[in-house]
Amino acid sequence: MTTHASSTRVEIAWLARRAAWGLRPGQLDELETLGTDAVIDVLLDPDGNGVGPESSPWDGFEYVDDNENRREQGLEVLASWLGHLVTTDRPFENSIAWFWHDHFAVSAEVVRYLPALLDHLELLRDSAFGDFRELIRDVTTDPAMLIFLDGTTSTGASPNENYGRELLELYTLGIGNYTEDDVRAAAVALTGWVVARRFGYQARFVPRRHDPTPQTFLGTPGVTGVDAVVDTAVAHPAVPTYIAGKMARHFLGDVDDATIDSLAATFAANDLKVAPMARAMLEAGIDGAGSPQVTAPVPWTIAALKATGADIAPRILAGLLRQMGQVPGLPPNVGGYPGAATWLASSSTAGRFTMANALARTTPDDSPVLAAAAGGDYDELADLLLRPEGFSDPTIAALRDLPSSAAPRPGEAVLAIALASPELLIR
Amino acid sequence: MTDDSPDNPRPRPRWDPAPPATPEPGVPLGGPPEPSRLAMPPSAPATPPAASAERDTPPAGDGRPPSPAGPLSRRKFIGIAGGVAGAAAAGGAAWAALVRDRVDESASRLAGVTTTAPPTTIPATTTTLGAGSGAAAGERVLVVLEMAGGNDALNTLVSSDGRYRDRRPALAIAESDIVTLSGADYGLHPALAPLAPYFDAGTMLAVAGSGMTEQSRSHFKAMDTWWTGVPGATSQTGWLGRWLDATLDGENDPLKAIALGGGGPSLVGLNTISTVVRSPELFSLRTIKGADNDALVAAFLATSAPLAAEPYLANAQFAIPSTLSAVDLLASVSGGGEGDPVGVGRGDQATAGTLLQTAAGIIDLGIGTQVITVGINGFDTHANQAARHQDLLRDVADGIASFLTRIEADGNADRVMLMTTSEFGRRVAENGSGGTDHGNGGCQFLFGPEVAGGRIVGELDLANLVNGDLPTAVDTLSVYASALDWLGGPTDEILGADYDRLGLLRA
Repeated sequence: MTTHASSTRVEIAWLARRAAWGLRPGQLDELETLGTDAVIDVLLDPDGNGVGPESSPWDGFEYVDDNENRREQGLEVLASWLGHLVTTDRPFENSIAWFWHDHFAVSAEVVRYLPALLDHLELLRDSAFGDFRELIRDVTTDPAMLIFLDGTTSTGASPNENYGRELLELYTLGIGNYTEDDVRAAAVALTGWVVARRFGYQARFVPRRHDPTPQTFLGTPGVTGVDAVVDTAVAHPAVPTYIAGKMARHFLGDVDDATIDSLAATFAANDLKVAPMARAMLEAGIDGAGSPQVTAPVPWTIAALKATGADIAPRILAGLLRQMGQVPGLPPNVGGYPGAATWLASSSTAGRFTMANALARTTPDDSPVLAAAAGGDYDELADLLLRPEGFSDPTIAALRDLPSSAAPRPGEAVLAIALASPELLIR
Repeated sequence: MTDDSPDNPRPRPRWDPAPPATPEPGVPLGGPPEPSRLAMPPSAPATPPAASAERDTPPAGDGRPPSPAGPLSRRKFIGIAGGVAGAAAAGGAAWAALVRDRVDESASRLAGVTTTAPPTTIPATTTTLGAGSGAAAGERVLVVLEMAGGNDALNTLVSSDGRYRDRRPALAIAESDIVTLSGADYGLHPALAPLAPYFDAGTMLAVAGSGMTEQSRSHFKAMDTWWTGVPGATSQTGWLGRWLDATLDGENDPLKAIALGGGGPSLVGLNTISTVVRSPELFSLRTIKGADNDALVAAFLATSAPLAAEPYLANAQFAIPSTLSAVDLLASVSGGGEGDPVGVGRGDQATAGTLLQTAAGIIDLGIGTQVITVGINGFDTHANQAARHQDLLRDVADGIASFLTRIEADGNADRVMLMTTSEFGRRVAENGSGGTDHGNGGCQFLFGPEVAGGRIVGELDLANLVNGDLPTAVDTLSVYASALDWLGGPTDEILGADYDRLGLLRA
């Protein structure tokens, strides 16, 4: 590999891969002039750095309650979401929102009413850097979540444990920090919330479906109702470590306990505000905490779309993401998207090769990446793909050996293989 | 419907579009409409690569001496590669440490060797691949159907006990709908009717009330145990991965064990690796329209060697040759047609019917595949269970029946055993959502020539509930032990104890 890139450029490329899901051509040059610390600040505080607020990806989307259009509507929502992730100037906020989407794992497979799902995703984006307690409070009675984990059918006469269990196991504490009695207590205390057509699909509390019997929950007696459940769970001492650990592994890869403890302390000291912990996390990553990481299909694809300007029809883009194994809005189970090693399975590898071909084929003629590929400037190509360190020797050899006639347009085949290369999978 | 009754409105958005097999014009992201320019050939043309048959010979023309540890053969390289796929299971730091050790060892062994393995595009290649372990065609096969989510045993094996009906006023299967099994205390859910003939013929056995010691109601903890076969402790390896380790003879063959669908974790071994394919019908390579497919596939493969010292990058390299081999393998197996009878596939998950047809095809290739896991999900029926569970069981029953018919027709039935698993059962009492919450007491089915079938082992003991749950009547590890016996063991070494076999197999 070549090593002539500045250390600042290498650091900012790392930040861009982890926190921003890639950059558009030219952006790395601009950010390098700012320096690493300033880039972290731009990522964390777009408002304070002159980046204006952004509208919803789904502004203008009109839901039609119509079987004829349901597939088209799903595709329209998906295309808007992916397009937003490519064009946003608030990329870290959006990648944190994606982390929360992975965390809560609400699936369009279960939540059939699209507006509720979009409201849920907007809640995650609005709360991305915010107060964790408020996030849990809002999600607990969010219509999409009430549908997703059966809160809407949980009654005092017959409580449903689905949300109560995952609140403790997946959303706040992690396994080992609660008992089966706590699961039941949460289920009883949270009964009575309903999402119904006649209420306009808004969450409504219906007292006669609620069991107000005070519950002993996580050792606290007298708990009933959503606020008491949320306050009790979020006040548990396991929360900062559980959330900091999950977020650090998501963005940094393998992290040691000392790093997690430090981030948890930051999280706790800031009353469970996310932004200070997220800042400390990026700083820790720049300082060498963490590890290389296999990039999941969605962030990999977003980064490639940014770098190439490729223009794949949504229907095909979605189908290829499905082949790679990760479609936004469709986490496979309540545990969220699978771990990083999953993206090395044969299915994902084959999908990545095909996606790389699709990206190369739809990259505009005037794209800088295509020019670099056609000109055999592999260092420039790697830099444009946010690897200022350059490609690996095997990849350079593979690119060099490709016949110029391997694809119709000059540079197309080189670009496809560069995108599919093993090093571009590791962020 | 009362005024405050909940509902989950239709229409249901078709979020998940069709696979891109038939590309059509669409509105591109952020740009003007433009027809797709992607060509979609099924795979690269079948040009026989010159050196592929001599799998222990390095490609000619390399010009370098082999490393002291011997040349990097294509086969060895592929053998290393599969581990990546198996590693999907363990996740996190444990996996990374495991892989790192393996990579460090491999990288040092391979230092100085430059190898560009040829593209693998012909079935002949995969045939030689599997032949490493000997007389492949006659070997025994275990197929494990993993029903993720916690299948409801009480509505699968249906009891005539009045207490069942009392606790399930809405969900109990009507007496008249129960499929009777000759001589048995339980019947089957009506959707499982296609399986009854196998029970009556003595080639199907049912296990009632199965579970692990210290059974957890967490999906994730329960699945960990279900995959590892090590209750109450952590384990980096899966119960079938340890069988692969124990029977490793010479080089690892990543096609000896294949995960289809959502599975894979049970196949994780320390020294062996497997192939993971989530969805066979989406498993293909496609290239740019008008491109030289061979050149692109060869270049992709070339990026994978030599191995980097950095373990994450090396793992990403590893995945490439094993993927190309697996694409060839699956392309030669027809998985379509009889599969997908009810369309309950979720996300990128195929149905049991589709996946089991693929499994039957792999078995018939006779390339030495001995373990196939088939992962399906959706059994976490907290709500609206009646309709969902019926669809799921219909897929299972039709899929198994079609599979058994197919292996019989192919002449493979004598060497195949199939067993079902699920991580836990469900609560005896139904909840207020028309579903059931996580509970205990599962059930399993076994099919095969040596299965001591036509009977039900264990019970769904409604008279002795524990915290409202069925008690565990049969240790799942006894069932695992019987399955490992079928494969030839060494069972007790793999499971760490001598579990009672309960006579599940004929001696």
